[in-house]
Amino acid sequence: MFTLIKKEIEDHIAYFIGAAVLSAILIALLISAMYQPEPRDMPVFIGLSIPVIVILIVGFPAMGSTQMYTDRTRKISTLLSTLPVSRRQILCARIITGILAILTLLLPLTITMVILFPLFTPPIQMYLGLVWEIFAAAFLMAFACYCLGLLTGWNSSKIIPTLGGLVLTSILLPLIFVKGFGLHTVVILLLFIIASLMRTWHTFMSTSL
Amino acid sequence: MKSLIHYPVKVFATGFVVLTLLSIPLFWFRFWCQTSLVVRMPSEARDVSITPSGLVPPELENDPNVVNRSRVSARMIVGPFFLGIADYFLARFPGGRHSNIYYYDKKDEDWMYFDEETGQIVCRYTGVQRMPDKTILKKKVQLYVGPEGISESPGKNLGRFTSPVVSISLWLTLYDKKLRRFFYFDLDERTVVKGPQLPKDDTHKPIDIGILRKGYEFESLNWSPPQVRASEEDIKERRSSSYELPPIVRRYYRYPSGQYLLVLDESGRIDLLDRETLEFAGTAGWLPAPKTFFPSKEVVTPKDLLSYDVLPLALDTDQKYRGMFAVSVSREGTAMALAVFDEKGVQIKTEHTKLRKYRGRSADVDSSKAVFFEAPWAPVSTIGIYLAENLHPLLLSLVSYFTADSFEAAAGHRALFILPNSFVAMKGRDVSENTAERIITALLLMLPSIILAILLAWRVNIDATTVGLSENARLCWMIGTIAFGLTAYITYRLTRPKITLVTCQNCGNLRRPDMNRCHRCGSKWHIPELTPPAWRVLGRSEQVYEGLPAEEAEAE
Repeated sequence: MFTLIKKEIEDHIAYFIGAAVLSAILIALLISAMYQPEPRDMPVFIGLSIPVIVILIVGFPAMGSTQMYTDRTRKISTLLSTLPVSRRQILCARIITGILAILTLLLPLTITMVILFPLFTPPIQMYLGLVWEIFAAAFLMAFACYCLGLLTGWNSSKIIPTLGGLVLTSILLPLIFVKGFGLHTVVILLLFIIASLMRTWHTFMSTSL
Repeated sequence: MKSLIHYPVKVFATGFVVLTLLSIPLFWFRFWCQTSLVVRMPSEARDVSITPSGLVPPELENDPNVVNRSRVSARMIVGPFFLGIADYFLARFPGGRHSNIYYYDKKDEDWMYFDEETGQIVCRYTGVQRMPDKTILKKKVQLYVGPEGISESPGKNLGRFTSPVVSISLWLTLYDKKLRRFFYFDLDERTVVKGPQLPKDDTHKPIDIGILRKGYEFESLNWSPPQVRASEEDIKERRSSSYELPPIVRRYYRYPSGQYLLVLDESGRIDLLDRETLEFAGTAGWLPAPKTFFPSKEVVTPKDLLSYDVLPLALDTDQKYRGMFAVSVSREGTAMALAVFDEKGVQIKTEHTKLRKYRGRSADVDSSKAVFFEAPWAPVSTIGIYLAENLHPLLLSLVSYFTADSFEAAAGHRALFILPNSFVAMKGRDVSENTAERIITALLLMLPSIILAILLAWRVNIDATTVGLSENARLCWMIGTIAFGLTAYITYRLTRPKITLVTCQNCGNLRRPDMNRCHRCGSKWHIPELTPPAWRVLGRSEQVYEGLPAEEAEAE
């Protein structure tokens, strides 16, 4: 399993590097915004974060889509099946790799926020649980987008894996604007992730080698 | 066997993905139409006023010098409704409904919040101390407030609050839902006054004390006293200019509800609480019910309203409570009601938002109806909303009908699956008709949705027959398509068996190659019998025996 995960990371190292770079940019923006005494400069930081967020929107479904599309066209799982590896393990390794890529981006950012928040907020229970709620919703949203990539990537045509994930992500992402970061979003996203993983699982397992 | 179990799982999983991805664009379309409706609502239909206000003593109201009578007015400020993300942050900021911080001053670093760990209220403020040499010494004071006392350090001896409802104004009053009693705190004297415990059978369920307000972004409520022309003496002494109209009496801002505090009950009733004894002193009134598109219940609770505001009145002449003004905005944000209650809690005046139309003769149209049809291009948006609602699953529309009142009003504007603000749900809240009439009207409202569902179910049935799904599977799909409409149809298209059909030699229709019998006529495969041919292929020329065949010779 570890070998499979390692291989998946090596094959998609570009996404991990991208996630780490974007995380560093976002941390730099966050620290600058926190230490910036002038609130008039806030729109600049918000403006700078928008392209980063757009890249993220494209990034996670693209990763899922690439993983599945490469497998479908290059018959990677067919080759691996000749080794003592089951298809279940292949898909699990793929999903774990996706989660690791998301955590590469979000975890350093969340840790930075957890460290910085007490420095800039009064010593009272201000914005109770806000950081963790935002982290949970952002993680689930990123994972849901990745799952959409997995779902659309298992296709032999080029259009559906390329545009399908992107279109579906741009439909799903505004859920955060509609519902916020609270419990409603978490529940909907959890159900959505379970449903899309089940669909991917079924498709992947039932396809002939 | 596994595929039999997997198929429903695959269908339900795909169904939920489709439902979510379909509900979000439909939400945005409804949101856009709804916003365009309320933004284009005529200005006249947003305002409501009552003149004279009814709470000023007649000798002041009817004073011969009065130029303008007292007036209470309210205005709906209905712009784009709050999306979840804005509501999420507003609710968690100090003073928000999910925040334990009741007051926070960033500049002076003063605050008041409820510490859940200790169960005490922490107050930090700038204390002023007058020194013997008459200088003023300012120092920061942090106090911990519990049901048993006030101290500079937290301690178990102060007791614990469990779920406090706090009023922050000039005096700190609190109601604890578990202890079932009111408390009054004097921070200067560091004393706690306990009110009597409410009996177990008492029906009071206070949810707000003092300033009773919700969703103030959606309305504004103002009162203006009777105005007189400035006296010549005032003009001469430049206390007032000739065009100014000074008030004959002023509102007592220090204690606007006089000797009482207003307490909002969960039922929508507003009670008077005696500030001294911390006992209920009667009813001040209730939240008025706005006139909605379909007549809904006349008693509304805070949960049913998008916004409300209550303005108590005490005049600076006698500083006694004279009554209150209450305004409320309907769940849909299209109607507002303004009511005036006297000091005994009797509703003396009521006014609703409406639009005056001139079609031969003037007629008033309720704002809740005017918003859908009277504004320019409003019918287009209304039809848009109606059609979008009818693309929603039929089953969820029915659930919306039956659970119309269960959701908090503001949350209804952010609903994705169950729509408490849809026309069907509005009909569910209708009180003018009996249950049967309401259901029939709701079904009529859902007619496009029903027709679409039947049409899609018919198409699914035809396709399922062609594909060769079993009778049970076809029945399930038809029921599912009628219940979930477009969502089920898309799900079916995504999950239907993808098999290349072959022609049946018996009936001529297309049949599945993976099934033993034709799913149309039930005939088996026509497999030609493997009979050996009479001829042989030999490597040399065939020899013709002259004698008898070998078998016959043996027999002889």
